Amino acid sequence: MMKAANNLKFMVLSIDGVPFGLIRRFMDEGVMANMARLAGQTGLRQMRSIHPTVSSVAWASYMTGMNPGKHGIYGFIDRQPGTYDMSLPNGRMMVVETIWEVLSRAGKRVFGMNVPTSYPPRRVNGILIGGFLTPTVDRAAYPPTESDYLRSIDYRIDSDAQLARRDKRAMLDDLDVTLAKRMEAMFHYLDKESWDFFHTHIMGTDRINHFLFEKMEQDDAEFAPGFRDYYRKIDAAVGKLLERIPQETPLLIFSDHGFCPIKQEVQLSRYLIEKGWTAPAAQIQHPLSIDPGQSRAYCMIPGRIFINLSGREPGGIVPVDAYQQVREQIADDLMQLRDPDNGDLVIRKVIMREEVYWPSGSQGPLRAAPEEIARMDGTFGRAADLIAIPYDGYDLKLGLAGKALFQKTELEGMHTYDDAFMVARGVELPENNLEIFMLTRVILEKLGVTPPADMDGAGNAITPDF
Amino acid sequence: MDRLDELESQSMYIIREAYYHYHKLAMLWSVGKDSTTMLWLVRKAFLGKVPIPLLHIDTSYKFPEMYQFRDEYSKKWGMNLLIAKNEAALAAGMTCEKKLECCTALKTEGLKQAIAKHGFEALLLGIRRDEHGIRAKERYFSPRDEQFQWNYQDQPPELWDQYKNQAEEKTHIRVHPLLHWTEKDIWYYIKRENIPITDLYFAKNGKRYRSIGCTTCCNPIESNASNVDEVIAELESTVTSERAGRAQDKEDAYTMQKLRALGYM
Repeated sequence: MMKAANNLKFMVLSIDGVPFGLIRRFMDEGVMANMARLAGQTGLRQMRSIHPTVSSVAWASYMTGMNPGKHGIYGFIDRQPGTYDMSLPNGRMMVVETIWEVLSRAGKRVFGMNVPTSYPPRRVNGILIGGFLTPTVDRAAYPPTESDYLRSIDYRIDSDAQLARRDKRAMLDDLDVTLAKRMEAMFHYLDKESWDFFHTHIMGTDRINHFLFEKMEQDDAEFAPGFRDYYRKIDAAVGKLLERIPQETPLLIFSDHGFCPIKQEVQLSRYLIEKGWTAPAAQIQHPLSIDPGQSRAYCMIPGRIFINLSGREPGGIVPVDAYQQVREQIADDLMQLRDPDNGDLVIRKVIMREEVYWPSGSQGPLRAAPEEIARMDGTFGRAADLIAIPYDGYDLKLGLAGKALFQKTELEGMHTYDDAFMVARGVELPENNLEIFMLTRVILEKLGVTPPADMDGAGNAITPDF
Repeated sequence: MDRLDELESQSMYIIREAYYHYHKLAMLWSVGKDSTTMLWLVRKAFLGKVPIPLLHIDTSYKFPEMYQFRDEYSKKWGMNLLIAKNEAALAAGMTCEKKLECCTALKTEGLKQAIAKHGFEALLLGIRRDEHGIRAKERYFSPRDEQFQWNYQDQPPELWDQYKNQAEEKTHIRVHPLLHWTEKDIWYYIKRENIPITDLYFAKNGKRYRSIGCTTCCNPIESNASNVDEVIAELESTVTSERAGRAQDKEDAYTMQKLRALGYM
């Protein structure tokens, strides 16, 4: 059986931030006919993302097969441990091996393109091309010589979100070009490379959902057709890909999180200031410019709240034995927050770090005293102490300087946790709760490669329901 | 010959080749482990009597330990030490708050000024191919134009130890004697030769620097490696990159712009 497994190839196409509900609708409406045909044979499933529901965290969890407590990526912005300075995590801070490295060690040829948090590209037996937040094409690829090809086709790493804020027509054109280049490169490598594991990522869906999700839902005359057209182009590429790979090649097509329209953006840091938990510094320079002597807690995007703990933070003022009490008080305050327009509650649930994260060496949430949880170090110790989960439509943001607690901006869509989609052909996935970090183990096992001992996704390593 | 002997003799060949070709040659010394290893090789290549000056680009933000080491060993080894500082930019208040601009002003401009002042034709630099992707394409002899630009798509082949070491005027040549070394090679060689290096590389209170530069842009890594042997043991098992504590800053400006556009900041 191992022998058969060793000859298998495995194909992944990931489409960022496409909700289960939307893809089902587009399948029904004929916008995504190829996907509909495929899902007709395999079924379409709903999948859970990760907390907090941000692409960098979701993809780090996918590529390592671990929860953030082990891989150490908790968001697009973090603090440098032991300081109140900001850091911007990327693949360098991921302290564990990725699926491409594990497969490379086992002698498999791998290919990965555009998956968020894969920059800087690690050394693999094959080719890795970085995605979102890769600064230039020249530095995107391992081996570096591959950037010559990428430059020759005028490859685009990512669409331009600044453009989206100015001109949505131009954004659609930019998304089209970016997608076309990605697909050109995908088919080029599909033909040219010998591979055992091939993963291509499409990021543009996340962008179009951020900026046009509401217009699509409202069937806006100007932009809803363009929105559908973009998904139609992706479906065409799926159709072409299906023609190019044998029917028996195991295949996953999935997203990393869902989306819903934004009702309000909520400046959670403003709320913490109003409730007396956070005191901003006299001069606000970045999202962590707080006055440590006056702040018992502070937050980072989205909904991640840190206790300014004595002995852990450089200017910590909350003693360890008050840790749990302070966490509960903050959670109570957060649960009171209401939308001024209609009086609706904003926060659905506040969870403690140990309820969703677990460190290296464990499989599933920890049982330990809060004081112990507060003091834990390593990657787990970098987690937020509390994570606020909003009701759909309330996008938790951060701005110490901003005076408005609630506001609407050009952004129209926000991420959701429990409605990513999954289409799997020739792959046996866990039957009940499916979470994004469970996929790695399945892929490795399908390819006959033993997963690293610390990898999650076996049995009881499951994020509880909230 | 064992591996370290091979690395050493290749490097010394390049150093002597450079000295033979260029009348005005200097070596850049950042005081880090690589350029200090290169300095060791230069001393060996010329049997202890080093005929070229050492150029240190001083941003004024280096670690105190680095200044101390620089002054101690340049004296001890009888070096002709030249220190270049972009005084104008420092006087104008250039600080690390503007990451990208800071490096350009204090390092690149500082070096340009020094080259103009001393008229150097060529510089020895201790870069290595394995440091990051773009350096993998470097040559041992690598010309820079007057804008300091390096055209990596237009490079001469370097086969059978034949180097193109002539370039057009208004350029200078960068010579990279350590190009073929890896981070681990450097450490094994430091061990074998007992080369002195600053103790910033060794762990204190659970942290050490794996790569050093300015205090403002270097972060220590978590480590308990407090001597050369322990550093080697650590490197044999690590999966993260050497410059993890450094390269980050230069990308941050770009990253923040992208995140801001998407509402993450």
